[in-house]
Amino acid sequence: MAKARPITNLDTQAPTGTNARVIARTRLEELYEWDKYVDDPYQVHELHNLRIAAKRLRYTLEIFAPVLPEACSGVLREVEQIQEELGELHDSDVMVALLRLCLGSLDSGVGYEDALVKASYQQGKGRFLLNPDMAAYLLNPASAPSAGQRQGLEYLLLDLQKKREEQYAAFRQHWYQLQARDFRREVLTILDT
Amino acid sequence: MGNQKVPTWAAIDIGSNTIRVVVARYISDHLEILATDEEMVRIGESVTSTGEISAQKSAAAIATLRAYKALAEQYAASPILAVATEAIRQAKNREEFLAGVLEATGLVVHLIEGDVEATLTFYGATCGLGKEAPVPARIGVMDLGGGSTELVLAKNMQMNWRISVPIGSGWIHDRYFHADPPTHDDLAVAATFLQTYVQGLRIKQRPPLLVVTGGSANALLRLARYAFHVSAQETHLTYEDLLRCEGLLSALPAQEIAERYKVPASRAEILPAGVLIIRTMMVHLQVREISISSHGIREGVLLAYARHGSQWLQRVRCSARDVTQEAVEVDAEISRAASESAEEPFDRSGHRMLLDRTRKMLERRDEVLKHEDVEAVHRMRVASRRLRAVLDAYESACNPKLFKKAYRCVKQLADMLGKARDTDVMIEHLRAQLEQTPAEEQLGIQWLIDRLSSYREQHQVVLEAFLKQIDEDAWKRKIVACLPVGGVENGKS
Repeated sequence: MAKARPITNLDTQAPTGTNARVIARTRLEELYEWDKYVDDPYQVHELHNLRIAAKRLRYTLEIFAPVLPEACSGVLREVEQIQEELGELHDSDVMVALLRLCLGSLDSGVGYEDALVKASYQQGKGRFLLNPDMAAYLLNPASAPSAGQRQGLEYLLLDLQKKREEQYAAFRQHWYQLQARDFRREVLTILDT
Repeated sequence: MGNQKVPTWAAIDIGSNTIRVVVARYISDHLEILATDEEMVRIGESVTSTGEISAQKSAAAIATLRAYKALAEQYAASPILAVATEAIRQAKNREEFLAGVLEATGLVVHLIEGDVEATLTFYGATCGLGKEAPVPARIGVMDLGGGSTELVLAKNMQMNWRISVPIGSGWIHDRYFHADPPTHDDLAVAATFLQTYVQGLRIKQRPPLLVVTGGSANALLRLARYAFHVSAQETHLTYEDLLRCEGLLSALPAQEIAERYKVPASRAEILPAGVLIIRTMMVHLQVREISISSHGIREGVLLAYARHGSQWLQRVRCSARDVTQEAVEVDAEISRAASESAEEPFDRSGHRMLLDRTRKMLERRDEVLKHEDVEAVHRMRVASRRLRAVLDAYESACNPKLFKKAYRCVKQLADMLGKARDTDVMIEHLRAQLEQTPAEEQLGIQWLIDRLSSYREQHQVVLEAFLKQIDEDAWKRKIVACLPVGGVENGKS
């Protein structure tokens, strides 16, 4: 997950409202740095980073709400919605990854080891998707699912993949609606007032 | 036009879809309705697409308000009380619009906040309740508007929770539906969005009775009466009734619905969105049927006026504030902070905010340790995110070494809370899925729920151990110390 960019051009003696606008503009730019990944539904990590950037902008608008223009409340609503849409998408991605690991691992020690290595590798590269502790716990061969349970998990995986497509479509549609009204420019204009 | 001794009043509400009026007499604690009217102006349509009330919508609204004023004057109604809600709240040119209305009609329109709207709706929608059947101790009232939806929960008719969400039937229609009738894909996308949104609302109680009010809810009742021969006296609709309505609305174009079932065409257009919102909320609240009230915000305005006279709006604002709800607390904090921080130098506001956000985050510790409410972890995690947002904002003004130390602590806590919350969310989603899954598929989901629950319990032990070792004062000192402030010594104000 990309770290929030430190903002260097702040004047600590200036009114809070002046600096809050600079911070909000930076968080907005960070959000749009991930814009190029919106059309690719399977850039899971990049979409996750877009969500984190939306979250940072949202909290910036919230904590500085008293000193930002009132119109920022409308911006906040859109950003919250984007964050929620991407949040649901991320939840589905995590669950899909977990199910694939569960179903991909055999009930033997070898499959278990492989799955753990995969989970650790993802974390090691800083491209964290699954919580390795949880993956390890779930993939423990001592409590592996039975054949009937595995079949249920297969169905669940199919359902989740379908739901994920709908979630992505909902998010993308919203994103393009914002693009159509030049949301970025709209926010910058509000912050300039 | 009636007995001169009995007061006659009128109330108008300018909503996102509709402008409505009611003229009523107030006799021994109840309203006798003399006249009502409504016009679908759909102001919200232009606000959703451009952020402003267009000149055309403004002119249509003024024409309607002139006609309503004349109607009220026919009954010698005085005063005429007017309120405006979500679409006007969101419009960039709201001041200009309200000034235009005043100039053209002489009507003073009060722009009310979402919480006041919810309170007035509760007064109106419940005013006839209990006449025919006993009212359960806990009830919910939902006002489905064009641009927002208000939900109020009450115990023994005293409101104890409420929320106003900026999503209504007009808004969903304008944003998600591109065909008439809406396509299956459009409906699926809108349904996914609504499920996501509603899941994010932290509704703590599930009332056995849900009263729904608003134009779309009443139009659905009329549709069910015409189409499915639901009795004219019936004011309840079951979940199955709504599914049947939805089937009809997704099969026929709005014009045909309007002609066949005597629903105004502009209302018929947004009904698919209305039924979807109601159904989503019913599933979330686990209610099988709803009671539909033809009363709402306008009747609420008149009842508030009856109780409090010219101070009605101030008193309703106070009542709305008294209702305990987390979002209200946040809003109030923001308002308080506003007066303190507008011109406050950046370093001073940072010091205050760091201390305040740290305190708020640590206040949540006890409820997480109790491990009774699944939302406790979520609240503490959100508090930790707000604190991190403050730290991120002030990073360049901080002492780098002290900042790193403080940030690491907060991040460690946030990560632990994140693991707990993510698991809770997975379990919640799976439980919801379990209810809709055929028996042969449930085995796998149940296995996963059991494994995740067991992991969650194990993680709770680790989380509790971490939380218990936190020295609250030391954390506050550590976090505040990273931002040097002129005039503040050693981080103590």
